[in-house]
Amino acid sequence: MSLPRPEVTPLKALRKVRVDERELGGGLRSLVVKRSEVPLVEVRLVFPLSGRQMLRPAVPLVSSEAILAGTARHDRISLAEAVGRLGGTLGASAAGDTFVLYGSAFSQRYRQLLELMAEVLCTAAYPAEEVAADRARSADEMTIVLSRPETLAAEAVGRRLYGSHPYGAPLPRPEAVAAVTAARLKRFHSSLLHPSGAHLVVVGDLTAARATGLASEVLGEWLETPPASRSALPSLPAVATGPLELVDRPGSVQSNIRIAGPMPSRLEPEWPAVAAVNAVLGGMFSSRIVENLRERNGYTYSPYSSVRHMRAGSSGSIGADVSNEVTAAALVELRYEIARLATAGVSEEELQAARKYLIGTFLFQTATQASLASTLAALAATGVDPGYLSGHPARLARLEKSEVDAAARRYFSPSRLATVVVGEAEAVAGQLGELEQIELSRPFA
Amino acid sequence: MPRQKSAALERFALSNGLRVVVAPDASSQLVGVAVVYDVGWRSEPAGRTGFAHLFEHMMFQGSANVAKVEHMALVEGAGGVFNGYTRADITAYFQALPAGGLELALWLEADRMGSLAITEENLANQVAVVKEEINVNVFNQPYGGFPWIVLPETAFDSYPNSHNGYGAFEELERASVADAASFYETYYAPSNAVLAVAGACDPAEVAAYAERFFGPIPLRPVPAHGPWPEPPLSRPRHRLLHDGRAPQPAFVAGYRSPDPVNRLQDHLAYTVLAGVLAGSDASRLRRRLVHEERIVTDVSCELGIFGVDNFIMRDPVLLQVLVMHPGASSTEQILALVDAELERLADEGPTRDELERVAAAYSSGYWRSLDAVMERSITLASLEVVHGRAELLAELPGRIAAVAPEAVAAAAGELTGQQRTVVEVVPGAAQ
Repeated sequence: MSLPRPEVTPLKALRKVRVDERELGGGLRSLVVKRSEVPLVEVRLVFPLSGRQMLRPAVPLVSSEAILAGTARHDRISLAEAVGRLGGTLGASAAGDTFVLYGSAFSQRYRQLLELMAEVLCTAAYPAEEVAADRARSADEMTIVLSRPETLAAEAVGRRLYGSHPYGAPLPRPEAVAAVTAARLKRFHSSLLHPSGAHLVVVGDLTAARATGLASEVLGEWLETPPASRSALPSLPAVATGPLELVDRPGSVQSNIRIAGPMPSRLEPEWPAVAAVNAVLGGMFSSRIVENLRERNGYTYSPYSSVRHMRAGSSGSIGADVSNEVTAAALVELRYEIARLATAGVSEEELQAARKYLIGTFLFQTATQASLASTLAALAATGVDPGYLSGHPARLARLEKSEVDAAARRYFSPSRLATVVVGEAEAVAGQLGELEQIELSRPFA
Repeated sequence: MPRQKSAALERFALSNGLRVVVAPDASSQLVGVAVVYDVGWRSEPAGRTGFAHLFEHMMFQGSANVAKVEHMALVEGAGGVFNGYTRADITAYFQALPAGGLELALWLEADRMGSLAITEENLANQVAVVKEEINVNVFNQPYGGFPWIVLPETAFDSYPNSHNGYGAFEELERASVADAASFYETYYAPSNAVLAVAGACDPAEVAAYAERFFGPIPLRPVPAHGPWPEPPLSRPRHRLLHDGRAPQPAFVAGYRSPDPVNRLQDHLAYTVLAGVLAGSDASRLRRRLVHEERIVTDVSCELGIFGVDNFIMRDPVLLQVLVMHPGASSTEQILALVDAELERLADEGPTRDELERVAAAYSSGYWRSLDAVMERSITLASLEVVHGRAELLAELPGRIAAVAPEAVAAAAGELTGQQRTVVEVVPGAAQ
């Protein structure tokens, strides 16, 4: 076949996402988007965890289960039945610095979904027996989470990036989870789940007027919770770039390599340029580290570079999971690609590809009700105005090579990044020691 | 104002046998393009375990007009995302892009369907990559390969049904360019594939591009697909699996379910049964084992190999009850409670409310799936490959809702009457 490769017609305009923003009382802000394509609704209530709450992560973890263990009107089972009749879901998650109560339902059942959410917010009972069962189960689940190598890598990276800041707190250990009491969960609930400083996100087949009108009505009692302040998070410390940390995991057949450092937040002018650098380095498949480590050297399955945005600041992580024998060789290649990007910048072709990729795939973040609700919740949690949904692609379209190269120099300079490897020390410490000084640690020391 | 999404499909076939399904959706700015081939690991040759999946990797390594890694660069450079996966009976290739990338995506898929270019060097590179994929997901993880590799190995006897679809390292290493050429010639014929396009597209335009790009690929015979019959077990099977990385015990109990293609109505009763047993906190097994007896950390009940793939598989398909627990109770004690719940359900049948909740979950899940164009294109093409009816996607919620309580009770009764396969994970290395 020798038909010429077709050209791609760019979209004339990105469909505008119209976000209705209001103050619903009690300090709760709502973000609503009408999306009529499917007869469903997605709801997110987003709460900022305090630094103290993050330092005791066992409590939010158990709370995300036990919050559904019973209310004034329902026990756990009848609550699950009620949610099921709405064609819905109802749950809570505590991830990083944010606690989210989320739900979905047929849009005609929006009122009933809100009623169940209000009931949970105002009357979650934390029955002692149910709490005992939830904490035991959560403790068991944590032993499994902690046995995964990527968990150990994330913890070690957190220590290097954040030190004693709440973001550096290790994941809760099973003993701490098993010790969480109903009284502590009730205190956690009342200090966190009040409307001031929280956000309500609604995306679905209903008008903003109906979404907010029903929310004001159904959540009315909760919206009258006396206002309470929320403490700001401390600012992030300097990164402990230090020597390479090797976390020993005896019996590992692979090493999990992570190279991490601070990145600009979405509120900072350099963010779009950093997004492009990240894409060229390893944020897309047709990127430098995938081409080198996977497609040329066959060292790894899915090497990546990614940026994570949190309230107190953003961070980037470059990683690859590689066989023991090639651990040092793979680290050399990763370091080479990072340093080459920081010193020599991107090519015009790479920038053009990254720009098109980032603008095109940005559509996916707003394409479905569920993805749009999660995107809005993430923006709200980090204090980013929803105008970002149109502003960011416009900014990407105007990116210049000079600002991208400057961002690469500033944020991807090897001197700003910390390196962590999780693997079998007996198999890889020798190779790594040939390269540079290493600091050996044990995961649960 | 965007229109409500609809289930309307258009379909046609090319003279070389390629079937095309189009689900236009004017409310979307994105288009999903999937090509699903009627081949999975059940068809890979003996002595070449893992070959179907390795071959999937090779489909991204270049073709007559596309260099190595260029496929990915072109899709991403058009603002799109892509991937592929291999299952027991199908191999799916897919991408989603802003609407203007449709023609490019079809050109790319046609180029690799018509003129794949495999070199020794690329094959060796992807063997290494696949081994690292297996290391990440199996050998370096707690519960790696549990239950999706170990349950079929234990429950079935024939090579197609029982072997490991990820493959043994030594067999992957023996894979040759000649093997790939023969596999491609046999299974990657246009008559053995379905192209589905969902989202922002005009069906007439899709038809014109499909004819232009895929039309010149010559007709080749349709290969055989199974059947892979296995008699029901005459006695129960049991296997202990020592896992040095697993911190807690776990087990899976596998039961045979009715053929999802030729006995779909009976299979649907099992689908509802799985929801009644473990679809929510109010389901029977979760309620009893997790919340009342409090002896397990988690219990789920799924059909297929990965739990949601039963409608894209041919017979035999397993129903699995998967349990994670802290070890305070024995597998036998927990299974006795599972049996008691199944017997009660067989005797009394499910309540109307239970069935309505399962149907509501299925219906809202269906609408959610319409909202994502890439997933929709994959599902339409896969259902067309396995059932010959992409329409099934829209019909399933209604058919699930119409399953009678007696059929669910009968399904529960059939499970208690079966010889099952149990695979237990024992934490710690073998003594």
